[in-house]
Amino acid sequence: MNPLIEVIDLTYSYQAGSDDEFRALKGVFLQVWPGEMLAITGQNGSGKSTLARHFNGLLTPQSGSVLVEGLSIADKKNTAAIRKLVGMVFQNPDNQLVSSIVEEDIAFGPENLGLPPAEIRKRVDWALDTLNLQHLRKVSPSGLSEGQKQLVAIAGVLAMKPKCIILDEPTAHLDPRGKREVLENIMRLNREEGITIILLTHFMNEVVHCDQMVVMEQGEIKLRGTPYAVFRQKEIILELGLDLPIAAQLATGLRQKGFKIPEDIIHTEELVDCLCQLK
Amino acid sequence: MFIGTEKLTYTYMSGTPFAATALNEVSFSLGKGEITLIIGPSGSGKSTLIQHLNGLLKPSSGRVYFKGQAIGSDKGELLRLRRRIGLVFQIPEEHFFSETIYDEIAFAPRNLGLAESEVRIRVKDALEKVGLRAEQLQYRHPFQLSAGQKRLVAVASVLSMNPEVLILDEPTAGLDPSHRRNLFALLDNLNRSGGLTVIISTHHLDDVVALAHSVFVLQGGRMVLAGPPSEIFTTREKLYDLGLSLPSVTEIMHSVKEKGLPVKTNIYTLAGARQEINRLKGRPGR
Ligand SMILES: Nc1ncnc2c1ncn2[C@@H]1O[C@H](COP(=O)(O)OP(=O)(O)OP(=O)(O)O)[C@@H](O)[C@H]1O
Ligand SMILES: Nc1ncnc2c1ncn2[C@@H]1O[C@H](COP(=O)(O)OP(=O)(O)O)[C@@H](O)[C@H]1O
Ligand SMILES: [Mg+2]
Ligand SMILES: [Mg+2]
Repeated sequence: MNPLIEVIDLTYSYQAGSDDEFRALKGVFLQVWPGEMLAITGQNGSGKSTLARHFNGLLTPQSGSVLVEGLSIADKKNTAAIRKLVGMVFQNPDNQLVSSIVEEDIAFGPENLGLPPAEIRKRVDWALDTLNLQHLRKVSPSGLSEGQKQLVAIAGVLAMKPKCIILDEPTAHLDPRGKREVLENIMRLNREEGITIILLTHFMNEVVHCDQMVVMEQGEIKLRGTPYAVFRQKEIILELGLDLPIAAQLATGLRQKGFKIPEDIIHTEELVDCLCQLK
Repeated sequence: MFIGTEKLTYTYMSGTPFAATALNEVSFSLGKGEITLIIGPSGSGKSTLIQHLNGLLKPSSGRVYFKGQAIGSDKGELLRLRRRIGLVFQIPEEHFFSETIYDEIAFAPRNLGLAESEVRIRVKDALEKVGLRAEQLQYRHPFQLSAGQKRLVAVASVLSMNPEVLILDEPTAGLDPSHRRNLFALLDNLNRSGGLTVIISTHHLDDVVALAHSVFVLQGGRMVLAGPPSEIFTTREKLYDLGLSLPSVTEIMHSVKEKGLPVKTNIYTLAGARQEINRLKGRPGR
């Protein structure tokens, strides 16, 4: 199997060449595999968004390379093809919606691809169905909750039929219900539609639902593995400015009090089960 | 009453076909030195309420009080008020107005007439308090920052004016766990040492609920619940109906109880949860 996205020794500086040049990426290597759900986390300013903006050509490598299905992002000829393969969703739902009717908003991307109207309609329908938004197709996004707006933004990307969707802190501004709805839908797109998901997030309770996670620090990737493997490295996680998932924090605290609690607890359900079984 | 409202009602675009009542007869009263959380689903009126508290919005009816006095509409008075009641907006980058981060944070201390040498110290100090390094980024444009760094700069620019009341509208959105913890530790510290009154609207209760003296719950522009955390988070169904959640630890205790272990559920810190499990399952001496 070939990686869907391959990042090789990527560097990027803002204000490159000037006195206040800032090296935001310092030699990043990463492979994203088809069908995986990958979390990218790390402290504020560690380079997550800068890295993610290279995946669909919003930024071009200053040195090193980024390949999407083998196509180099540095080659302008590939830009259109890569934009079709990799979609992007941002933090603030309000800045992403362009139209005053939900279905028109979702049609915007496919229209730009120059698809025939019948195909556009089919894709809009499919995106609305997949995200359970049919009942909202005729309404104005401005009247929706923030969580619903974010789902509409995701539907707009989905209608492009991408292989991969990158979401840069998609739940940061949402209320608890909105957060849950967006996360559940992202997971479903991954499991049922096979779409590769790259989720940038500061919420460890979102990270634990991913297959793989990457932790960045100061422009480098410091850790990569399954959430179980990464959260085993408790001291390093704290040094990198993260938290253990809440279930792991409580499990650790109880273990220190002498309770027999197994390692590798990161999900709430795992902790609840084992607390109920305590002798 | 140190700060509060009386039957505060506010309608956006009043008198037009688009009129929308965002606050409906909201009344509350807070003492000096209290830390208060405002929670509620999106659109429930949190930001609208918050913007009344330093006079940015004028009530359609009802009143807002600060130190026992109704906030009026005199321009000079409102300016002075905004120096004492600092507000960090929900989307901070919409409110940046300076060319550099330094100038953004220096604005308030310069307004106080401080010498530039003193201003410089305040800027550095404010940046360090929120967890940013002045020498690394103070001469950048406020837009040349990561998402979380923008929010931290917005907090720093309000800290630098030493407000008596600090109001933060969803301050942790976009902050990583360490900066989130750092911010709450800072607020706790300013509250304990300087009596700072703090009002925070947030969807993220972990780390902050332990500091809160009271919690207000808004829905559809009305205050539907108000009380200390220990009361508010025992009414789980009500919060779920509103689309809200409990602190993660409380959530865990509820699930444990549902599965048959008779734990108390009015627990919202890790230490509290450890003690409670120990009470039920621990052996003496352990
Ligand atoms: N336009 C810019 N000019 C200069 N430096 C920048 C610019 N944008 C970002 N940076 C710097 O590059 C680094 C990486 O930024 P990036 O936005 O990738 O971080 P991030 O990991 O996404 O952070 P956050 O969690 O806060 O969103 C940061 O230190 C930031 O200050
Ligand atoms: N500038 C505005 N113009 C018109 N309506 C607004 C404006 N700002 C907010 N509203 C409406 O007021 C209500 C409360 O909004 P807001 O105070 O932003 O809630 P919250 O901060 O709890 O999400 C919502 O119904 C919202 O749509
Ligand atoms: Mg970012
Ligand atoms: Mg708000």
